[in-house]
Amino acid sequence: MNLVLARIDDRFIHGQVTVGWGQRLQPDLILLANDEIAADPWQARVYAATVPPQVTVSVRGLGAAAAALRDPAAALPGHERAILLTGSPADMHALVAFGVALDRVNVGGMHFQAGKLEMLPGLYVDRDDLANFRTLLRRGVRLAVQAVPGGREVLVDDGLLAAVEARL
Amino acid sequence: MTPAAARRAGRMIMIQGLVLTHGAIGAELVKVVELILGPVAGLRAETNQGRSAKQTAEVVTGWLEQLAPADGGLIFIDDYGGSCASASRLGGAESARVPVLSGVNLTMLLAFVTWREELARAELVQRIIDQGRLAVTVVGAAR
Repeated sequence: MNLVLARIDDRFIHGQVTVGWGQRLQPDLILLANDEIAADPWQARVYAATVPPQVTVSVRGLGAAAAALRDPAAALPGHERAILLTGSPADMHALVAFGVALDRVNVGGMHFQAGKLEMLPGLYVDRDDLANFRTLLRRGVRLAVQAVPGGREVLVDDGLLAAVEARL
Repeated sequence: MTPAAARRAGRMIMIQGLVLTHGAIGAELVKVVELILGPVAGLRAETNQGRSAKQTAEVVTGWLEQLAPADGGLIFIDDYGGSCASASRLGGAESARVPVLSGVNLTMLLAFVTWREELARAELVQRIIDQGRLAVTVVGAAR
């Protein structure tokens, strides 16, 4: 199985993912990795209801998602092209810490919450997010902020993180 | 009880509407409804812009909580497969028995405002859908 996109997006499955990235990348699987949603079958069904019929949705907690990604042939048989979604940098970092090999992560939706500062237009972070971005960078993960294919891509690097941290 | 029956009983029922869309679609639609029909009570526009799934769901929950039980409500969204659909459900529309209608257009909102004080909610929903579908057509083509 080819992981065609690993994305951080606090809306999880929505138009930018299913239509924007989906039409470009033609996934047959969306793996949503989130402990809260995985623990609530109703929430999982709501998210799964919004995808095109050719796409399967698998909602798993972080540990189970990592295990599946380490051995997709056994855990996710029959799928060729997968999109991985987490709701935060912390969750993406957790997957990497659980042994998932990622060389690049797309940073999509991180919306405003109290205590967060705008890092790039429409993208809000706090110190915890910055720390997780830094750890991902140190692990060799390329971080690119890009809402949709064809949109502006901005690479996240230590300089950008330091500049944001100075404003926090 | 239909709104008409409620009126006969000396009560006023007015079904509330929430137009939840991407960007400013909903706000602009509501503005145009008011340009056509004049000021409209009980029709609120909200956006998912700048909000996570959870934050948009909280907006829906807040709107549902302020509904008078006798009035009830309808939620209009622009796309059945997007975050507004998820947020409406996650925010509690189903448990509050509030229908969520996707594909909102101007005709649907005009029908909502026009008929909400006349029709029971199930009939109103069908009228809105029928009118909204009629509005999607090739202008000038024979029907």
